[in-house]
Amino acid sequence: MNAGMKFDPDAELVARAGKGDRAAAQALMARHLAKLLTLARRMLGDRSEAEDAVQEVFLRLWTHAARWQPGKAKFETWLYRVTMNQCFDRLRKKPTAELEAAAQIADPGPGPDARLDNAALTLQVDAALAQLPERQRAAILLCHYQECGNIEAAEMLGISVEALESLLARGRRTLRTRLAYLKES
Amino acid sequence: MAKKNSNDRARSPSEAESDAAFASCMVATLPAETASAALEARILADFDAALVRRRFSPRFAAAKLAEGLRDLVWPSAPAWKPASVFALSLLLGLAAGVFVPATSTETDNSDQVQTVALDSAPSLDILGDL
Repeated sequence: MNAGMKFDPDAELVARAGKGDRAAAQALMARHLAKLLTLARRMLGDRSEAEDAVQEVFLRLWTHAARWQPGKAKFETWLYRVTMNQCFDRLRKKPTAELEAAAQIADPGPGPDARLDNAALTLQVDAALAQLPERQRAAILLCHYQECGNIEAAEMLGISVEALESLLARGRRTLRTRLAYLKES
Repeated sequence: MAKKNSNDRARSPSEAESDAAFASCMVATLPAETASAALEARILADFDAALVRRRFSPRFAAAKLAEGLRDLVWPSAPAWKPASVFALSLLLGLAAGVFVPATSTETDNSDQVQTVALDSAPSLDILGDL
């Protein structure tokens, strides 16, 4: 973690992009776009909204790249934090009824024979995740999906490590309760 | 068999660790998203637009001017070097102006007396000495 703070693999690319180097901007995009899009898609539950959110994140990056100060924070942590904030803002603006409806449509529930192919499994895990409170969902996705360390994930969410661990514990427990039938089947 | 399962449970890691393993296993089934070419194009178009906006902003113009001046005075030096040398020389100049007493005063020691005949015609021969 500390080694990561000392050497930031993105710092040079950000500096070059800040000076107007298009190739550096493309390289940054290639490194992070897919991961951010996946995270936003899982957070928002909607592909087109996730694309808009990620586009907004990169726009903020292009605007701030010239003023980026290497060494202050790891670039990736900043990028994920902006993405999470973007997702939280969009979730807050979304009507609650719309979210609940999306979760219900996506959740087919355990079938009588509980025969699951990959697509159905994905749908059910997706739906169980969508039903988690947004902070718990974010913690689960950052730590289990993006494989961030606890300290890094806490920084990304702007909370303490203890708070993150609490979110993780509650999120995992809820996820396990909701998907327990998958384990049995 | 049921007894074996309960034994297995007793040997398994703590409940929290088990929850974590289950979450990892479930989340791993989710596929990664791939970015479409259209999204990449939109993001790069944003980059180009941001660049153009920045180039025409007064802040960017001022920064460029400062950079140009710095390179003129002290090429490839960080901005603080010429700035601090300039500030130091300004301070020295001001200190000298305020504290160092003037050693010579301008006096008109000239013995020359210019006489002008009031009844003569005015001459304006500027190029005469050349």
